[in-house]
Amino acid sequence: MNAINRHELFVLDEGENPVEVTEDTKIPNAATIRIAKQDHTLGNMVRAQLLSMPSVLFAGYKVPHPLQPYFIIKVQTDGTVTPQFALETACNDLIKMVGDLEGKFKREFAFKDADGATGSNATGGPTAGGDDPYGGGGWSEGKDYLDF
Amino acid sequence: MRHDHCLHHLSATKQRDLFLIETTKMDGAAIVRIRELKKDSVNFVLENVDLAFANSLRRVVMADIPSIGALCAIFLAWTKLMDVAIDMVEIDANTTVLPDEFIAHRLGMVPLISANCDDAMRYTRDCTCPAGCSICSIWLQLSVTCTDDRTIDVTSDNLEVVPGPFGMSTSMDDAPEELTKRGPYFGHPVSKHEPGAQPVLLCKIRKGQELKLRCVARKGIAKEHAKWSPCSAVSFEYDPHNKLRHTTHWFEVDERAEWPLGPNAEEEEAPREDQPFDFNAKPNKFYMEVETDGSLGAQEVIMKGLAELQTKLANLILGIKPDLDMIAGGDGQAAGAWGTDGGNWNASETAAGGAWGAATAQDATSPAWANTAPPFGGGSGSRGAASPGRVAWSTSPAGGGGGGGWGGAQTGWGSPNRETNGWAT
Repeated sequence: MNAINRHELFVLDEGENPVEVTEDTKIPNAATIRIAKQDHTLGNMVRAQLLSMPSVLFAGYKVPHPLQPYFIIKVQTDGTVTPQFALETACNDLIKMVGDLEGKFKREFAFKDADGATGSNATGGPTAGGDDPYGGGGWSEGKDYLDF
Repeated sequence: MRHDHCLHHLSATKQRDLFLIETTKMDGAAIVRIRELKKDSVNFVLENVDLAFANSLRRVVMADIPSIGALCAIFLAWTKLMDVAIDMVEIDANTTVLPDEFIAHRLGMVPLISANCDDAMRYTRDCTCPAGCSICSIWLQLSVTCTDDRTIDVTSDNLEVVPGPFGMSTSMDDAPEELTKRGPYFGHPVSKHEPGAQPVLLCKIRKGQELKLRCVARKGIAKEHAKWSPCSAVSFEYDPHNKLRHTTHWFEVDERAEWPLGPNAEEEEAPREDQPFDFNAKPNKFYMEVETDGSLGAQEVIMKGLAELQTKLANLILGIKPDLDMIAGGDGQAAGAWGTDGGNWNASETAAGGAWGAATAQDATSPAWANTAPPFGGGSGSRGAASPGRVAWSTSPAGGGGGGGWGGAQTGWGSPNRETNGWAT
């Protein structure tokens, strides 16, 4: 009964800031960043990426309450970069990595399709080849996974 | 596996060195190997990624990918229809043994073909129509009467997609854009067009009984209700030999006998009996299988999931830099691409209704990433590890457009109303 509407878990309220940065007043180069309408999916991933950066001394996240759809992430750096910049770099790195992974998945899917032609017709994707939402540049057959 | 192999012959210090070498290697490119690809499932091994990342991928395919879940268990009289924006079922006649709620709930679970649905359909909350139009909802009708002496199965195959009562409604202006992206069977029950597939049994009726209803299918994500999840199962495993001791095996007599190894154990070398515990080791190899309910193909689920991850990350960066400028050329350097001056986010918002992708697509003066880079990076050849200087953002427009963002299903990141999307500063 105290739970919020389910769609409020991922839709930002009117005028709500997606990200709020509070710099720590007592610890140097530290900040607490509150990220609204996101959960462990983003928090844990970003935290792990921050920890892999040499300039980051501390990174931790928590979802303070399961019924409140936000998480906070604390970052402390060694002073060479600001916590905000560290977070941004971490996100950029992750985006690059996901992009890289996308390419690899695409290639693997293409190989598998060539092997067994396992593509699905049942999902009834658009049949027009030109209507490729993903560019399809890397597909030598000029096919998109929606086209099978 | 190679890692383990070497460890067997080395001293403890060497092991640590080797581990460090391996860890630096770990920062290198991720490896994906698809072991099995079927129409509605994919089994793959993901290597050289972080546990947190692999888990995020699992979470995102389970809960954050839009699909058309049908029909929900809300009963409303026809007159009340305009007040609500939730999926619903109107029951005209139900003389079956099952109560209305029961049937409505069963209808809600029926998977509907939703290929490409984040481009082909809008969230009702983002649509400009008052209560549902052909862009944001799909109407299905079911009408079965039994006149035979035998029992009839009412299944998901009895559901027919019908034009809605609103017709094209108020969103006529951009109707073609979404509607042209739909496949021929968009919104139909999954089993209907698949020969040999078992349909979903909704109800059984006997002579003289009738079930007649109409329902609305809408787009949503599984965070709102599990019926919108395209995945029926996602399996996730790492460290099949429990070398990392992330879990403790309870056993009575013999641990090995009582905890038989799964098939993934063959992918990794078993630890020797006297092998010391490597407390620095990190999981590095993840075995995943994503099985969909047929509403989306396995491949689409994975690609949309990755795009959705990018969307989340991109939105986070946007949030850190609220006065971010829009001129992020595709050739810019990673973080620097955002730093150059030019019209900022607020300024260029006027270009096209405030939606990011829309603005970049329509406003030639902001040569933004949506245009410069092939969405999704144009496949394997042109991106990724091979192009370290390439701006990471080039991948994101597809993330926004493809993943649908949380804002909306339209061209870009945003909903027609920027405020509802929340990125107003």
